[in-house]
Amino acid sequence: MEAIITFKDVSKTYESGTHALHHISLHVDKGEFVFIVGPSGAGKSTLIKMLLREETPTKGTVLVNGYNLCTMKRRHIPAFRRTIGVVFQDFRLIPTMTVYENVAFAMQVTNVSTKYIRRRVPYILDLLGLAKKARSYPPEISGGEQQRVALARALVNNPALIIADEPTGNIDPELSYEIVELLNEINRCGTTIVMVTHEHGLVAQFDHRVIGIEKGRITLDRGGKQQ
Amino acid sequence: MSLGSVKYLIGEGARNIRANRQMSIASIGVLVACMLLIGAAVLFSLNADAVMGYIESQNDVVVFVVDEADEEEAEGLGETLSAIENVSSVRYISRSEALEGQMERLGNSAYLMDALREDNPLPATYYVKVKDLEFLADTVAKIQALDLVLEVNSPTDMAATMVGIKKAVNLGGTAIVAILGAVSILIVSNTIKLTIFNRRREISIMKYVGATDSFIRFPFLVEGVIIGLCSALLAFGLLWVGYYYLMDWMSAATSSWLQLAYQHLIRFEDIAYRMLGGFCGAGAAFGVAGALFFVGRYLKV
Repeated sequence: MEAIITFKDVSKTYESGTHALHHISLHVDKGEFVFIVGPSGAGKSTLIKMLLREETPTKGTVLVNGYNLCTMKRRHIPAFRRTIGVVFQDFRLIPTMTVYENVAFAMQVTNVSTKYIRRRVPYILDLLGLAKKARSYPPEISGGEQQRVALARALVNNPALIIADEPTGNIDPELSYEIVELLNEINRCGTTIVMVTHEHGLVAQFDHRVIGIEKGRITLDRGGKQQ
Repeated sequence: MSLGSVKYLIGEGARNIRANRQMSIASIGVLVACMLLIGAAVLFSLNADAVMGYIESQNDVVVFVVDEADEEEAEGLGETLSAIENVSSVRYISRSEALEGQMERLGNSAYLMDALREDNPLPATYYVKVKDLEFLADTVAKIQALDLVLEVNSPTDMAATMVGIKKAVNLGGTAIVAILGAVSILIVSNTIKLTIFNRRREISIMKYVGATDSFIRFPFLVEGVIIGLCSALLAFGLLWVGYYYLMDWMSAATSSWLQLAYQHLIRFEDIAYRMLGGFCGAGAAFGVAGALFFVGRYLKV
């Protein structure tokens, strides 16, 4: 299988002197679903920030989706980010934009035609059961719905990789399963998913690869039973 | 960027003004207040200048012509006087006109002067107005050096005082405008900073979705320019109305001093275009500066 994420001996030390990651090497193949678990402060956030090119490693190489994130020029970051979808714990929706506009915005930045946007956004919203909320503003809808909007935004450009950073952290437990199930569904269509979580119960319900991080080191890498 | 994108981004800028009403209104309020203050200071300073200019022009230099000069020579002197650099106007009173003037002033006793008609002792006179009182002494010296000039009377002390007052008014006006301008720049840039700080999250979200820096900046630019221009128009309108009412009040004032000042105040129309241009320029410049400088710091995600 072709790798979509490659970490080669990656270390990260912040300016404050914090050693966030130590010699991490990691491969994720196209089409995989990976859970990244670990206690807070283990380095999960740093890992995610590197995947998004928010941070660059102090040492080592990070390759994502065919881009070398260490040598990438700043002006090429937007083009790279359009090839991945991101979902955050705190949803990160723009409160002054409607649900529709939030999702459409992710397409506007890619310069596709307005006509295509008008067709694509309702389709995605419908897919995630948000058709009736299209005109609502994020503060008017529930946490679970907001996270589905974020997921719709991540999906709308048809990315090869979706990164979900504690996507269930801010929503009711009964809805958490639903969100992961949606990700699972997306994964079945061929999209690679990397999901950071500390809810072990949730991880146990799905049969996927699990990578454990503690104190900046990989302490566990267990493949799903099918793989 | 495609045409479709540009249209979308202009729309976004306009939408943002509505979406962030409170901050938009606050920004417009601050901008209008600053522009009103500066505009009022400029108007005050220009008017003070105009009134001073009028008072200045009330001072005549009186030039007496020697008796030996005949009518033609005396009139020729007028042209020489007019040719002097600092002279703005010259009024000639011939010897007979001077006598008649005197007789008129005497009224019923004018007959006392009848005897003088034969041998008029009054000299022909020039009333000379100067352009700039500051160079009065210089001008007087030049006039005195001319042929046919008998004597020159000039308000030298008065001129020195006037020049001093005028300079103070000028300097004071400029200083007030400059101070208000500096304070305004500070207040307005802080307001812009706050507006953008409030939306730093929005900016970072856009970055995560893969928006380029210019894609994020453009709506801020549109928004800033629209707010700047709205404020400029509002401030201009308010200032016009305010000035109109002030002039109205002054024209009806009973105080003779106010009446005199009123006649020499500048009309708003005279500076309207320049003021509108200045306001619009400043408003738009703040909008552009906000989008260029202050958005930048949140783009590093």
